[in-house]
Amino acid sequence: MEQYYGYFLYLLSLLTMGGIYAVLTLGLNVQWGFTGLFNAGIAGFFAVGAYVQAILTTPIYARHLGGYEWPIPLAMLAAMALSAVVGYGVAKICIRLRADYLAIATIGIAEIIRLVFKNEGWATNGPRGISQIPKAFEDLPQPWNTLAFVAMVLAIVMVIYLALERARTAPWGRVMTAIRENEAAAAAAGKNVERFRLESFVIGSALMGLGGALMAQYLKQIDPQVSDPLTATFLVFVMLIAGGSANNKGAILGAMLMWTVWSATEILTSRLPDEFAIRSAYVRIFLIGLILQFILQRRPQGILPERRPKPHPRLRGDRAPAANTGSTKQ
Amino acid sequence: MKHLITAAALAALAATPAMAGEIRVGSVAGVTGPIAELVAPIVAGRNLAAAHINANGGLLDGDTLVLVLADSQCDPKAGVDAGNKVVNVEQVVAIVGASCSGATNGMVQSVTIPAGIPSVSDSATAPSITDLDDNNLVFRTAPSDAYQGAALAKLAWEAGYRKLAVTYANDDYNAGIAEVFVANFEGLGGKVTANQVHEPNKASYRAEITTLSGGGAEALALFAYYGGSGITIIRNALETGAFGKFMAADGMFDVSVIEQIGAENLRGNLMITQSASDPSNTSYQLFAEAYKSTGMDPGAPYAAHGYDATFLIALAIEQAGAADPALIAAALPEVANAPGEIIRPGEWEKAKALIAAGKAVNYEGASGSVDFDAAGDVPGFYSVNTINAEGKFEMRFLR
Repeated sequence: MEQYYGYFLYLLSLLTMGGIYAVLTLGLNVQWGFTGLFNAGIAGFFAVGAYVQAILTTPIYARHLGGYEWPIPLAMLAAMALSAVVGYGVAKICIRLRADYLAIATIGIAEIIRLVFKNEGWATNGPRGISQIPKAFEDLPQPWNTLAFVAMVLAIVMVIYLALERARTAPWGRVMTAIRENEAAAAAAGKNVERFRLESFVIGSALMGLGGALMAQYLKQIDPQVSDPLTATFLVFVMLIAGGSANNKGAILGAMLMWTVWSATEILTSRLPDEFAIRSAYVRIFLIGLILQFILQRRPQGILPERRPKPHPRLRGDRAPAANTGSTKQ
Repeated sequence: MKHLITAAALAALAATPAMAGEIRVGSVAGVTGPIAELVAPIVAGRNLAAAHINANGGLLDGDTLVLVLADSQCDPKAGVDAGNKVVNVEQVVAIVGASCSGATNGMVQSVTIPAGIPSVSDSATAPSITDLDDNNLVFRTAPSDAYQGAALAKLAWEAGYRKLAVTYANDDYNAGIAEVFVANFEGLGGKVTANQVHEPNKASYRAEITTLSGGGAEALALFAYYGGSGITIIRNALETGAFGKFMAADGMFDVSVIEQIGAENLRGNLMITQSASDPSNTSYQLFAEAYKSTGMDPGAPYAAHGYDATFLIALAIEQAGAADPALIAAALPEVANAPGEIIRPGEWEKAKALIAAGKAVNYEGASGSVDFDAAGDVPGFYSVNTINAEGKFEMRFLR
């Protein structure tokens, strides 16, 4: 019985981490999936959110900035807001760059942000990081605290999902797709491409900041290692591409699935003799790369491919007679 | 569908770990990640302790001690995940680890303290772990950095240095030691003429050295890993003639320092402190002999601490009389501290007999006396290493 209770708790931990990654993946989906912005600096916005949450909520401590003891929800909003502001600043400078140049610029910015957090020791305790970060619901008894936290994370994922689905099927989302597919055509249709790209980037950055704020609470400890590009940028990309770029359900599925693969494979390998168990730790990292290769080769659209929203009923009604007459006039 | 359910049920059964006659202890280590090469000898130390226990009667009624390895990657994310796996899926009663202070901090706060599982880290040295509100569940056999920085400062003062320049690599370990060193050296009355952080893995540190040499310091106190930046800094300092004398902490303790700089340049000019075991101590000798016979170097950093952490958990299980986390946590200080008959590494049979007879035991480990204070920390023991006439490290234990 205890064993099954343990499995249940582990499942909750998978859902929590999967949910936090889903927030990041949904943020990336707005940028990369909807609009085609190659943001390789997820870790930077994630770190901004995580540190803002940590600094605003921790009690006073001699080694880092703190002692503000904000309520947790307020700090999460602040984390989102500051990530959005940083995203706005970054976007203002480099949003006009084409895909790969934007990637180069953002990866550099993410590293700058990480190094700032690592070196401004008076505020962040440098490489030692910030510990004892308050976590929502942690005062409840076990397992209710865990359950409540999972429920909160999943509820946040749900709200973001609904909002992004609405955005995707709205005219806004269609302009994003038009920009992704053919920027020149979108501009020719009178759309302010630069402004739309900027909006998409800022919304995505705010969501990444929220992901960071949730992660800081869940881990209760953050240091510069948490925003290591391998697990904070590239893993998120793998999740989105595996799940299905531009599909919000795909983004969530990808996050849950890849985190489970990343985490649960160790349960199998830890049964091997130590010599192999140590080696297999590296095999797990290799496995993620292999899955990405396989999906890109066999199923480049991801597990759940993008589904274009159906045109608005009114538009459909307009078009039907047009198709009958064989005219292309709209 | 029916097949699916059957298959799932079979898979669940296959993964059900709690087999009769075994007691599981988590072994959480940074197997991959930035300190991977340091972790292998530590894990070997833990496994050696488990092998000693299992070969000499096992735990309680002949149960086998099984160490379940999980990777904490030196990253709090992975540390929390590894903790969740060993605690919930593997149902361990205690944990050895994690490696790295950040991963340990995350794991204990997010998983093991709420779950009530005791943990003994063998390599987390951050002072912040001392400050945790841990319900007496978090212990470590690795001394807090605070102690090594203080030991080196005292050594520098006694060696006659009054003005020092300080530089440290920008990672959690070296930054922590440097901070304590500076505070202690200034507390003794010394003067730190320059204190500069540097990023590891640069090709040259001449610019940093020029800045550091400005204040007329007598020596350079260098906190870095030998492979990351330490060797390059010493080489650049000697080339430019900025510094001739160096002090360093255990990140610099490696023969490649002598090989690459040359013993003639360093003899009498370099002092390295290292978290060390007293070589004249019987406990250390017992451990070193057994560890060497497995083909490993007993001088490897924190290998002895890994052995001690595992052995202590086993003693606590025996003392508790049951594989119960709360009882184990309460028993840990009892078996580690005086009073009691002294138990040394490998003396499992003797310990088992004493505990069965209701006598108190006091483990004197390979890494030191491992007496836990109220915060679950141990006092630090250090050696100073200098270069002798044969161009090898010569160790003197600091008392």
